[in-house]
Amino acid sequence: MIKLIEKIEGEAKLNFNFKDNKIDFVDIEFMSTRNIENILKGKSAFDALVINPRVCGICGHAHLIATVEALESCYDNLQISNKAKSLRELTLNFELIQNHFKWFYLTMMPLFGHKQEVLKATYPSQLMGKAIALFGGQYPHTSYAVVGGVVCDITEMDIIKLQHYIEQTVKFVEDNLIKMESESFSTCKSVDNILKYEGDLPDILRQIKKEELLAYGKSYGRFISFGENSYFKKGKSLKTRVNNNIFIEHAKESETATSFAKNVSYKDKYYEVGPLARAMVNKNKLILDAHRKYGDSIFSRILARVSEISQLLKHSKKLIQKLDLNEPSYIEPCIDIKQFSSSGYSAVEAARGTLIHKVELENGFIKNYEIITPTQWNLSGGTREKQGVSQKAMIGLYDIKMAELVFKTFDVCSVCTTH
Amino acid sequence: MKMRVLWLSAIACNGNTHSFLNYPYIEQFLNDFEFIYHQVIDSAYSLEDIVLNQIPCDILLIEGAISREFQRADVSVIEIIESYSKIVQKIVTVGTCATFGGIFRESDYENTSGLHFNQEKSLGNFQDILDKTVSLSGCPVHPEVLVNTLYAIKKSVNLKLDNFLRPKEFYAYTVHNGCTRNEYFEYKVDNHKFGELEGCMYYDHGCQAPYTHASCNKILWNEVNSKTRAGLPCMGCTEPKFPKQNLFETKKNMGIPEYLPVGVGKRTYLTLAGITKAFNIQRLQKKLFDD
Repeated sequence: MIKLIEKIEGEAKLNFNFKDNKIDFVDIEFMSTRNIENILKGKSAFDALVINPRVCGICGHAHLIATVEALESCYDNLQISNKAKSLRELTLNFELIQNHFKWFYLTMMPLFGHKQEVLKATYPSQLMGKAIALFGGQYPHTSYAVVGGVVCDITEMDIIKLQHYIEQTVKFVEDNLIKMESESFSTCKSVDNILKYEGDLPDILRQIKKEELLAYGKSYGRFISFGENSYFKKGKSLKTRVNNNIFIEHAKESETATSFAKNVSYKDKYYEVGPLARAMVNKNKLILDAHRKYGDSIFSRILARVSEISQLLKHSKKLIQKLDLNEPSYIEPCIDIKQFSSSGYSAVEAARGTLIHKVELENGFIKNYEIITPTQWNLSGGTREKQGVSQKAMIGLYDIKMAELVFKTFDVCSVCTTH
Repeated sequence: MKMRVLWLSAIACNGNTHSFLNYPYIEQFLNDFEFIYHQVIDSAYSLEDIVLNQIPCDILLIEGAISREFQRADVSVIEIIESYSKIVQKIVTVGTCATFGGIFRESDYENTSGLHFNQEKSLGNFQDILDKTVSLSGCPVHPEVLVNTLYAIKKSVNLKLDNFLRPKEFYAYTVHNGCTRNEYFEYKVDNHKFGELEGCMYYDHGCQAPYTHASCNKILWNEVNSKTRAGLPCMGCTEPKFPKQNLFETKKNMGIPEYLPVGVGKRTYLTLAGITKAFNIQRLQKKLFDD
């Protein structure tokens, strides 16, 4: 039975196969592609900084950061100031946060039978948009990170404004999402403790328990995360065993017969990426507790994404404290990119998980560009014998509505998947 | 009475959708308008309802570039537009892709363009709805430009449009208008470096603000900033030829920028540049916050 899944920044078709009234296989089809990699071919290298944010309206900033880091990796000995690095990390954090609010309030809550509360999604995400715009000029679709740093210079006044946006967002979290101190939430170690509080997040988690959905959405329990920064670690995790030695060369794309979206695997295995994967690799205590109790279920997946909001807000405050405004925002590269024939790659953590960009330059022009988006990892459409992460998570469910919920816990984005 | 709006996405990145979600008074907007369909916001109808029927509505919003090959819910986006454009009062192209083709004009779909324009070229199709269309270019569109245009339609305001059907209210300005770096432009102080508050980016860094029609420096983005104020060259994203190539460089002929400010002739520009350069204003030569 084919169901059109919509409101995922586009649409996908899920073809459900049933056996004994249970789903025994789901074929995932994405019906369109824009092929932005082709658009990039032959363009001058820096134009990618303008084109690539247009891969996605909700995580375009991650694409910018991935682009600039891929281009920078083509250079030897390029200097970037700590200030520029921190600013990039901050704006990326803000994008992750705005995405998580939108996902939780616009997509998730209605699937649990709640009325969609648009303002609860847009108010905090607008604050994060302002925070990005303060440095980037606008959000979405800035190209403020350039090879060598960032284009803005910042003053103490900017920092004061920024702190206000963050404090307002923290207040929103505490008044709505979970009625406890956001800082305590970010360091909380126990799921049972979370469930004692009021707020939209504990309400949904309690509903999952009450409606006996705790076993729903389990996949392989295999996680991977490539984007390293001052908060996220790189590694893969099989249940709770973490290995930090992973290499991008082993992440491979493959075409599928039934869908425009390419599959992505690591050493021929499908891995989950995203907030749950990051938390497992980072050994976040709260998420380890959730995983120990409920595995890689919808419960853990939702908790991991939403709790990342408070963690990133807290970490962002730390980054701001360490900023040295006397450092330069931008250090001009000593070599003009036009003299360049080189190649490079980058990996950053976007809201939905690991995003990889690979670039090949010839005399400063793009010869080849490859983008691997997080949703490709999670939504890979495997075979019956070797199922993708989200496919596996839907197996055994009785009804299609529940399968849609499970599917959407991966924060599906059609435009990213097919780019 | 709420006005009924259909938000239809074609070949897009959904940047306009998310830009719209940044509109600060969205509560008020949703009191006055109802989406019969939107990509993200809940609506009474599913996408399948929309494409298989002709649900009554007042305004059709189109986001994304258009090609006959591109489908939504298995129906060609052109057929959907043909069906709904007959019944609505107005059609609004939301963003540069829907207006001129934009970045996704170069996608893998055949004959991809905007609704009425392929870059600057006027297209022959959809002539019967030309007088119903308002173009809102921008990559993405500023949410205030979108929302206020919809209110103008609701109030039956007679919008004055430019040659690309864009409301002059927003597109008669240039991005240069209101840029905090204007003085550096006026006095031809071209010592811009990335990461600094000072300097004009028109001379060397490809800034297109003096010849790009948009209100970015008048109404500001996210209510706080603009690209040029932050120190990023304007990439001309509201214009038909967006994206041009070599965006971070100023194309010059014999040292003179190829694209001059709107309405300025080459000879006049040279004369003006000669005079203004003679000023040698110390204040503009040093850092803004220096003693």
